[in-house]
Amino acid sequence: MLEVRGLTAGYQGGDVIRDVGFHVDEGEAVMIIGSNGAGKTTLFRAVLGLLRPSSGTVEFQQEVITGKQTQRIARLGISFVPAERHLFPRMTVRENLSLGAYPDRPDPDDVQSVFDLFPRLAERRGQRAGTMSGGEQQMLAVGRALMSRPRLLVLDEPTTGLAPKLAAEAYRALGILKQRGLTVLVAEQQVPLALALSDRGYVLENGVIRKEGTSAELTHDPDVRRSYLGVV
Amino acid sequence: MIANLLDGIVLGLQFGLLAGGLTMVYGLGGVLNLAYGQMAVVSAMVVVLSMEAGLGPIPAVVVGLVAGGLLGLLLDLTILRPVYRLHGEARVLLSLLLTLGLAFMVDGFLSWRYPTKALTLRIGGGPVELLGVRMVRGGVVASVITILVLGGLLLFFRKTTLGRAVRSVIEDEEGARLVGVDPQRMLRLILILTGVLAALVAVTRSLVTPVSVTAGFELTVSALIVTVVGGLGSVGGAILAGLILGMISTVAASSIGTVLSLIILLVAAAVTILIRPSGLLGVEE
Repeated sequence: MLEVRGLTAGYQGGDVIRDVGFHVDEGEAVMIIGSNGAGKTTLFRAVLGLLRPSSGTVEFQQEVITGKQTQRIARLGISFVPAERHLFPRMTVRENLSLGAYPDRPDPDDVQSVFDLFPRLAERRGQRAGTMSGGEQQMLAVGRALMSRPRLLVLDEPTTGLAPKLAAEAYRALGILKQRGLTVLVAEQQVPLALALSDRGYVLENGVIRKEGTSAELTHDPDVRRSYLGVV
Repeated sequence: MIANLLDGIVLGLQFGLLAGGLTMVYGLGGVLNLAYGQMAVVSAMVVVLSMEAGLGPIPAVVVGLVAGGLLGLLLDLTILRPVYRLHGEARVLLSLLLTLGLAFMVDGFLSWRYPTKALTLRIGGGPVELLGVRMVRGGVVASVITILVLGGLLLFFRKTTLGRAVRSVIEDEEGARLVGVDPQRMLRLILILTGVLAALVAVTRSLVTPVSVTAGFELTVSALIVTVVGGLGSVGGAILAGLILGMISTVAASSIGTVLSLIILLVAAAVTILIRPSGLLGVEE
């Protein structure tokens, strides 16, 4: 479904990721694990067209999307939930969700299914997004991303700034979405949670893919255990 | 005093509409359009010329409004192109310089080609009684039109998908792109819309007082002051500030004269900015 080949990208200071390749198949959950500064965010920004890669290609459903504008990529069916969320702070929960369905009017059933997934949002439907807690904002960001009925949901560190209980809650929701057949790509530092969700994963270190494998393989990999699972 | 306040509301609503247009374009695209008053004046001249060509007042006004919209589109397609390639402060500065240059050119052309023309629209019938005060009918009609348009704009931004999409770009451009909104198209749409609004201000203004070929800079400066006082990027703030400054302006003008009233207006604006740097309803950065 998503095929990334030889992607190199960065900012004026130089390349942050180099020659990165990975793929996500339909119905899979795939994780990119890496510590702070490994290049996870840069990688996703390059995939989503928020950053122009200096080389490499990104294919989505057999269509090359490298260099396309973010809004076009979004309309092809990739929903991105950035770590900073980028909600519309002065709009209500309901308005944020409505815009998720842009350019269509929101389908009431879709709104309801977001509320079923995150009952907390239903209680806060009239509240402005900017006045909500971090956990609620994260739920809203995921909810907004779902409103366009995406084929692929991409999340950059969905647990940033969340208490452990809320982080687990967020992954519970992602598990439900995966069960319903949604393809998920997630970058994460909180590796145990992501491992439980994912079928496969890649380890990104200093902008390069160091390892890849199924979740079971990564769980038993000594380096992964030492660096990301806190097992000595 | 009440008569002055009512006159102030008439003026203030127009200030608000004018400043609302300026602030929307700024909030949406970081573009400061200093040729905004000239857009209003050119539209007014289109109405004048259409009427001289034999069109009735209402069709002529419609032609003027369309011309205003086209001017906005033309701005987007021509001199703003290089502006769009820049970001942040550089973008604001280049847009300011280019539109200021355009404003001078338009002003020069109009005063050379049509030095004495002015748009004056008259509405028949005597004064209207309001709160025990006799108001000029044109002023009342102008205010009613302005209030209806402001209400329409409010509904557009609150209730329609397109209106919400425009707001989304003002609130968080990256978030907007992630849900599939094209910021560049929204900006074009708003430039067209504000062109029509500028034309509408010229038309409603001409119901109260003649709009001359040289009115452009005065309109832009008024809009700019109101925008800054209201808070850049806040349409509600623009309307509120428009009403307050409109009333200050008319009350001061009638009690101490026009020249001093402009100074009082500027002082009021300066004091507001000193107390609240982000403007009345502006968002703190």
